[in-house]
Amino acid sequence: MALGGAQTHVVRATLLVALAALLEVTLAPLLTFGWVAPRFLILGVVVAVADLRDLQALLLGFFGGILTDALSGGLFGVGALGGVLAAAISLRIRVVRRKVGAGPFAAQAVAVAVVVYDLLGLFAPILAGQDGPPVATYLAGGVVPDALLNALLAYLAGDRILKLMTVKEEKWT
Amino acid sequence: MALITLCVASLVLFTIYVKEDDSGPLHTVQLGAAEVLRPVRGLFGLATSPFSAASERVEGALDASEKKELEARALEYEEGAAEAARLRDENGRLRELLDGERPSFTYSPLARVVAPVGGQLTERVVINLGSDHGVRPEQPVVVGNNTLIGRTTERVTPNTAEVLLVTDQNFAAGVRILPPKASQGETDEESTTAGESTSGESAAEDASAASEREPDFGADSHGEGLLRTSWEGYLGVDYVDLNADAEQGDFVVTSGRAGGRELLFPPGLLVGTVESVSSQDINQYKNTVVAPAAEADDLQDVRVIVNW
Repeated sequence: MALGGAQTHVVRATLLVALAALLEVTLAPLLTFGWVAPRFLILGVVVAVADLRDLQALLLGFFGGILTDALSGGLFGVGALGGVLAAAISLRIRVVRRKVGAGPFAAQAVAVAVVVYDLLGLFAPILAGQDGPPVATYLAGGVVPDALLNALLAYLAGDRILKLMTVKEEKWT
Repeated sequence: MALITLCVASLVLFTIYVKEDDSGPLHTVQLGAAEVLRPVRGLFGLATSPFSAASERVEGALDASEKKELEARALEYEEGAAEAARLRDENGRLRELLDGERPSFTYSPLARVVAPVGGQLTERVVINLGSDHGVRPEQPVVVGNNTLIGRTTERVTPNTAEVLLVTDQNFAAGVRILPPKASQGETDEESTTAGESTSGESAAEDASAASEREPDFGADSHGEGLLRTSWEGYLGVDYVDLNADAEQGDFVVTSGRAGGRELLFPPGLLVGTVESVSSQDINQYKNTVVAPAAEADDLQDVRVIVNW
């Protein structure tokens, strides 16, 4: 049974988020430079949910985050919250996509979502009673470069990923 | 609405994870996933090993300042701890000096030992108090709970005074040998019978234990004599009668008088403990070796008894 265009898009988005979660827990730790690392989950969620409905997007971000939490050894719930907020940011900013194009859209959304994700990563350990990094140093040396790096990645790759996600409509003849 | 619900769900998961122990369901899920992903991680690790090496180098460069800061902080803490230990030690010594004050004595202000004097055969120190502070020649110098460590010599300036230590061969003092207080006598008997042949080890134990024991000033004297250091370097009590009951572990305190004559030191100042007692038929007196109660090397704060 063939899937409809919308369903195909949801499946592709889900696979993309799952792949992003997998890369987030396997590849990202190996590419970490200090506090700076590629945030595959954020990138995947932001791009994957760009053309989904609101509820679908939020659920996909949430479960993508849950998957990341489950596969990683970090604090459970941080990834889920980061995924939800990344999806929400993507939904909020997607109105500019038609004006500025896919690359700049992905870069903006990812930059904001990474800042939020990094702040969650800063305060979650403190809330859990663990030692966190020095706030000012982390903001200057971690959050800002992390957002810039991931924005660059999103700018370079976002356009292509969005094209892969797009389901071509068959023409009626 | 969905956004708020999912955020709350995330926070609930976070709370459960933080509250549960390592065997909780969320931790178990993570452990299982880690096992499943191990081969994948290994594969990626192999592929990205050049990046990892570069990352470690970058991190090392970034963390250098933090490492230096931590080392400096650790050094600071060590210095603080050493200073605290020194102050605690000093506080203990000063407290002991104050607690040991006797109402019938007049003490000088606290004096600090500023320099050792002399060579191998002399045991003298200089303190930072002199005639301006009421210090005169021939006055007893004490530490702790009235433990005699020497006397001032003729070399007293307005702000310094030379102290002849009890271990100097020119020092002499009339002393009495007193047993420990009754409650401690039993342990002393045991130690005495167990160590007829006095070893250095038991003497050291006696010396360390002496600070916790007290002489029984009300008991009959176990002997009297003259405290002095022999040319061989042993601090001992000369002229102890062969019939005297002096034994190892007894206390040696100043007698204060000899017959009807007042002596140089007030009575009852602790000098040390009897380390060994021996006698031979051809000798007229017992050979008594004394372990000083205060070590010259440890002297820091002392007081001069200027009147009694």
